[in-house]
Amino acid sequence: MNRLLIGFFSALALVSCAGQRQKAIEIHSDADLTGYRVATTAGSCYDMELSAREDIFLDLYNTDSDLLQALLNNKVDVVVNDEVLFNAAVQKEYGIKVAMLGEQSFPTGFLFNKEDEVLARTLSAVQRRMEEDGSMQRLKDFWLTDRFTEVDTYPRLTYEATGKPLRVSTCSTTAPMSFLSDGEWYGIEIELLRELGKELNRPLEIQLFSAASGFLSVKTGLADVLCGCIFITPEREQDYRFSEPYHSFHPAYFVMDADSQRQSEGLLTGFKKNFKRNIITENRWKYITGGLWETLKISFMAILLGSVLGMVLYSMTRSRRRWMRSFSQVYNGFIAGIPELVLLLIMFYVVFAKTGIPSDVVAIITFALFFASGASDIYKTSLDAIPHGQTEAGLALGFTRTQTFFHIVLPQAIRRGLPLYKGQCVSLLKGTSIVGYIAIQDLTRAGDIIRSRTFDAVIPLLVVTVIYFLLVWLIGLLLQIATPKKKVL
Amino acid sequence: MITVSHLSKTYYNPDGSQLTVLKDINCEIQAGEVLSLIGPSGTGKSTFLRALNLLDPPTGGSIVFDGEDILAKGYPVHKMRQKMGMVFQSFNLFDHMTVLENVIYAPCKIKKVPFEKAREEGLTLLRKVGLAEKADVYPESLSGGQKQRVAIARCLAMNPEVILFDEPTSALDPTMVGEVLSVIRQLAKEGMTMLIVTHEMKFARDVSTRIFFMYDGYIHEDGTPKQIFEHPHRSATKAFVQRIRKEVFEVKGNDFDFLDMESRIRQFCIKYNIAAKSDATVNLCHKMLTEVMDSYIPMTVRITHSELSGETALDFMVEGLETSPLKAENPALEEIRSLCREIVEEPTSRGFRVKLRID
Repeated sequence: MNRLLIGFFSALALVSCAGQRQKAIEIHSDADLTGYRVATTAGSCYDMELSAREDIFLDLYNTDSDLLQALLNNKVDVVVNDEVLFNAAVQKEYGIKVAMLGEQSFPTGFLFNKEDEVLARTLSAVQRRMEEDGSMQRLKDFWLTDRFTEVDTYPRLTYEATGKPLRVSTCSTTAPMSFLSDGEWYGIEIELLRELGKELNRPLEIQLFSAASGFLSVKTGLADVLCGCIFITPEREQDYRFSEPYHSFHPAYFVMDADSQRQSEGLLTGFKKNFKRNIITENRWKYITGGLWETLKISFMAILLGSVLGMVLYSMTRSRRRWMRSFSQVYNGFIAGIPELVLLLIMFYVVFAKTGIPSDVVAIITFALFFASGASDIYKTSLDAIPHGQTEAGLALGFTRTQTFFHIVLPQAIRRGLPLYKGQCVSLLKGTSIVGYIAIQDLTRAGDIIRSRTFDAVIPLLVVTVIYFLLVWLIGLLLQIATPKKKVL
Repeated sequence: MITVSHLSKTYYNPDGSQLTVLKDINCEIQAGEVLSLIGPSGTGKSTFLRALNLLDPPTGGSIVFDGEDILAKGYPVHKMRQKMGMVFQSFNLFDHMTVLENVIYAPCKIKKVPFEKAREEGLTLLRKVGLAEKADVYPESLSGGQKQRVAIARCLAMNPEVILFDEPTSALDPTMVGEVLSVIRQLAKEGMTMLIVTHEMKFARDVSTRIFFMYDGYIHEDGTPKQIFEHPHRSATKAFVQRIRKEVFEVKGNDFDFLDMESRIRQFCIKYNIAAKSDATVNLCHKMLTEVMDSYIPMTVRITHSELSGETALDFMVEGLETSPLKAENPALEEIRSLCREIVEEPTSRGFRVKLRID
């Protein structure tokens, strides 16, 4: 087993470290893209522009690290994205370069709810003041040039605030806009928002969303402001309010650098180095442990709540009242027909949007609703499988109805239902990997956060996989312990 | 011990229809009685039994058990059931427990008998039904007869005052009926009060002190075995006890499954306690079909048995025939004649019948 695991790890490490085929790509204008495989971020401004072109092969990715991996693994030839996305240090490390900077530039700012004019205007005022006193220039000099590297101590504005928290949602964990380091948020946009918070005497409360749900969070009032390199476009201005742009970015065309001196390392050294960089540096393992805690908490609570709800649902299927039976039928049909992610988003952005219930509670409720449906089915299959004669025999011996259920029927039903129940728990545990969509930093999202800082695909995914694997094994073990003993007396 | 008056049971179906299974049952059962309930299917024998311990609560009338009205509101039914055991047609052993656990689970949990003491008593009971060596196996590895004997031991473990047997041998292979009946017989000898719903007429006649003939939701006739089986007062009782058991085979041609017919004749003989005759019967049937009658198939073969008189017969009926198919010069005929008591040849309304009476 150990040998197998080592072999598995080594093979993966090999794939991650192996040199990629490199060919020189020259791009001097947009027209030169013709015939190339191009990648960009889904839903971004580049997406809209490039999608219109029929002479290129366009791939869309969700995260910046996926974009880099696509380039490194020769899945695409060109990555089009913000010029600041992969800075000099990253370019050198991975042997990529900027083939060309795009001509047009995109004004970038912060996105507010259409109704929220005051907040947007205040931020604009803060920015103007910073332009005047030169502090804006100092910020840009640090973050938007190649000065900053991982080992730097990042500047950070600290202030005491007593007001209502300013709820910030960000859809970026990539430097230099907004990113996590050792559990703290940094980046130029975060610093600007801190200036705003200081001005308003409001502490920041930062939540991490995916791009699409980030916009929704502002629209539905779950957040006050969205950041993460948001370009100001006329379409967006129709639905949202923007503060004045603090900067304009050019699109950059990243390609592999054929002249790169990137040397390959030995298998084990490479693995060790990557492991240290992904897990140890900046205490990144804390994202993993924090994510593990969230995943465990949501799964455990959802299983607990779902099991109880499932009992209610099961007793409804056996009810004499017709409407109760119909309800449980409709409920199971509804749950069976809706994807988990869709219901999760509906619960978060529609049902509980205005209630201020924390997102992990929303996740617990959502997954409990799914679990209840499965659990009630399991109760039904396993209890109905016990012949009525068993109940009659128990009653005839002189047990009460309750005793008969708990002494005779339930032990047999549990033995039948436990394997099914275990499967249900496992699929719930793995299903919780989508809670990142509603700004919960679970185990999967922890891997994403690390990946967006280190741009390494292998180690974070590997570690997360191994932990999920262990969790599944743990569930099996716990249920094994819960199984009624063979001996009844 | 048990006084039943005007007991009735009506099932109300969800579609609005209703079915009255017990109409008006009145009886008095004394301690020490072995009471067999016989009668055609669907006349309420099992329902009556299940109404007595309230597994199927009656819809009318009253039951007084040990001087207490068990249908009274708030009466602790489970206490009553501890004194009134039941043995089911389908055994209903607890599959997740060993044989011994099955037997002592209820005493341990309900009467709080200490495990060691319960184990001793349980083993004694298992010895009594001949299954002590199976104490630690699970019911799935037992035969039907063994399961039913465990069920009886389980019932005895609660030390009941009366045991209700609901068709205890109906789900058994005919070869296993005997072992279960002999255990019940043993209990009867020991003076246990029992109510037995059964289709085993010979057993009912031998073991019972009293018999209820149930018919159409009433106790149609109540009397001693001698009275019910030999001098029934009422015509329905008479028709029932004198009824003739039969099994019919349509022999359509040479492709007929003769081996299946042979095993069914054997089973028939075992079922009606005439196993001693089974070899002779099969032999006769075989000779008749292969050496005497083969040119006449298709035909109908019937084996009949009267439980009351003990008479068994094999009939061979060929349709559309007016004279006997037996030819006097056939040498096999002599042999057949020597194997049975009598050969009757008679024309019927639809053809010709040869009847062999078997001793």
